[in-house]
Amino acid sequence: MSEALKIDRRVRRLPPGRVAIIAGAAIMAIVAAAAILAPLVAPHDPYAQSMLARFRPMSAEYWLGTDQFGRDTFSRILYGLQITLWTAFASTALAMLCGTSIGILSGYYGGRVDRWLSAANDLLMSFPQMVAGIIIVALLGPGITNLIIAIAITAFPAFYRMARSAALALRERDYIDACRVLGYSDMRIISRHLLPETLDDIIIVATLWLATAVRTESSLAFIGLGAPPPAATLGGLVREGFDNLLDYPGLAIWPSLAILVVMIGLNLMGDGLRDANDPRVSA
Amino acid sequence: MSVLNVNNLRTSLVIGGVEYHALREISLSVAEGETLAVVGESGCGKSMLAMSVMGLLPSVAAITMGHVTLDAVQIEAASESVMEHIRGARIGMVFQEPMTALNPVLTVGEQIAEPLRDHLGLSKREARKAAVALMEKVRIPAAATRYNSYPHEFSGGMRQRVVIALAIACRPRLLIADEPTTALDVTVQRQILDLLDVLRTEGKMGMLLITHNLGIVAGHADRVAVMYGGDLVESATVKELFRNPAHPYSRALLASLPRVDRDLSELASIPGRVPALINMPEGCRFIDRCPHAMQRCHTMPPPVAVGDSQAHSVRCWLHVQGGEDAAEG
Repeated sequence: MSEALKIDRRVRRLPPGRVAIIAGAAIMAIVAAAAILAPLVAPHDPYAQSMLARFRPMSAEYWLGTDQFGRDTFSRILYGLQITLWTAFASTALAMLCGTSIGILSGYYGGRVDRWLSAANDLLMSFPQMVAGIIIVALLGPGITNLIIAIAITAFPAFYRMARSAALALRERDYIDACRVLGYSDMRIISRHLLPETLDDIIIVATLWLATAVRTESSLAFIGLGAPPPAATLGGLVREGFDNLLDYPGLAIWPSLAILVVMIGLNLMGDGLRDANDPRVSA
Repeated sequence: MSVLNVNNLRTSLVIGGVEYHALREISLSVAEGETLAVVGESGCGKSMLAMSVMGLLPSVAAITMGHVTLDAVQIEAASESVMEHIRGARIGMVFQEPMTALNPVLTVGEQIAEPLRDHLGLSKREARKAAVALMEKVRIPAAATRYNSYPHEFSGGMRQRVVIALAIACRPRLLIADEPTTALDVTVQRQILDLLDVLRTEGKMGMLLITHNLGIVAGHADRVAVMYGGDLVESATVKELFRNPAHPYSRALLASLPRVDRDLSELASIPGRVPALINMPEGCRFIDRCPHAMQRCHTMPPPVAVGDSQAHSVRCWLHVQGGEDAAEG
C-alpha cells in the first residue's frame, strides 16, 4: 500500500504532458532536420533516373533500394519530407493567421456579420475534410501553392471557431470593459488584451492540425491530387510504390512509415501541449 | 467653474420597439475639486448616468435629449474616436469590483503604464517611471518591486489602488467612482475614500461618487444628488440634505438609516419597491410609495422646484407654489 503510494507520487511528480512533449519534439526535431538538410544528407539526386539501377534491393549504396526509374528511395523520402512538411506548415500557418484574426474580430464585434460567418464556417466544417480538399484542389488546379491553399481552407474552421469562442467569452470580462473605460481603441484591446490569452489554445490547435495537414496532403497526393510529378512528396511516393506493391512492397512501405513517424511526433507534441495546458488534467 | 455639466439629460432604452426613459431630464454639475455624490437604490439609474457621461451606453440605449459638457465642451454626441481620447485621459473611472477589473495575465505595472503610453505617448521607459510614481502616489508599498507583480498577488484593497492609479494616470479632469468601496472591507473602505479625497484635492479633479451608502455621502461628499427610478429627485449640499430633506423619497431614505442613538429594535423601511422600467408610472415615479401622493402626481411628471437657496432643488409637486392647493381643490 505504502509502496504503491510512493510510486504513484513519483509518477505524479512529472508535469502532465511533459514526456509526450519532449518525445514528440525530439522526433520532430530529427525529422525536420532531415528534411531541411536533405540536399546535404541525401546520398543521391532524388530526381536522377537510371535505367540500369531499377528496382534495386536495399544495399550500402541504395539504403532503401530504388524505384522503377532507378531513383534512390531514401533520398526521395528525404526530399518528400521537405515538401510534405513545408506544405503542412505553410497551410497550417495560413489557416491559423486567417482563422484566428477573422474569428477574433467576428466574436468581438458580434452582430449580423458574426452570425453569417459562423453559419458559413459550420457549413465548411460539416464537409468531410477529404471531400472538401478534393473539391478545392479540383477547382484550383494542381500545384503546391494551390495544395497549400486547399489544405488551409479545410483547416480554417477549427481556428475560426476556437478564436471566436475565446473572444466571445473574453469580451464579457470586466477588465475588457475597464479597457474601454480607459479609452483604448478596439484594435489595442484585441491585440493586447484578447489575443495573448487565446494564443495558448491556438498554438495547441495548430500543432494538432499540423498532423492533420500532413495526413490531408498525403491522402490528396495518394489519389493523385498532390504536387505534380516528378516532385517527391510522402503521399506521392506511397502512390508510386503502390503500382508495384506485390513485387516491391518496400517502395510503398518506407514512405508510409515516414508519414507514420511524422504523425506520431506531431500528435505526441499536440496532445502533450494540450494536457500541460488543461487544468483538469494537471494533478 | 464646473468640470462636468449635465443638462436636461434623457437616456432612452428601446426594448421591443418601444422607447423607455431610463434617465428622465437629469441636470447636475460637478465643480473643480468638488465631490458630488449620486445616491439611490439599485436600478435607479446611477450607473446609467455614468455610462451616459462616458459615452459607453449599451447598443439598445442612447441619449435622446439634453447635453453633457466636459470643461464647457459638449461631448454627448462626440464620435467614438473623440471619446477614446476623452475616456481614460480626461475622465477617469474607478469601478466597484477591483478583483476582476484588471487583466490577470499582465503585470500591474504594465497595466498602469499602458494608458500613459496610449494617451500621453510616453516611451516605454518614461511610462515605467511614471507608473512607479503613480503606484507610490496611491500608496502601494515597494512600488518599484511591485511593478512586476500580477493582480492575483495583490489584495482587494491594493488592487483597488491599482485601479485608482489607472484612473488618474493621465490627470483627468473628472473622476467617476462607481461604488468604489462596495466590494471592500470597512477598514479598507475608509483608506480608499481618504486616498480619493487627497488625490481629488491635489489634482483639482471633480469627482462623481456613485454610492448607495449614506455614511460615505456624509463623510466624503460636498453635495449630493438623490436619484429614484431614473429621476434626479433632489439635489443639495450634504448638510442641507441631511438636515432638511425635501423630497418624500429623501426623507424616507434618511429615516431608514439605522441610528446608534435611537431604538434599534425595528428598522424603518420604505414600503413597496421600485417599479420596473417597462411599467413606470406616467407622472411621478415615486407615486406608489409616496405618503403624500396627490391627484396631479399621477398624470404629470413633477417639475424641478428650486428652494430658497439656489443650491437646493427638488423634483416634487409638494414644493411647487400652489401645487398642493390645485391638487386638493
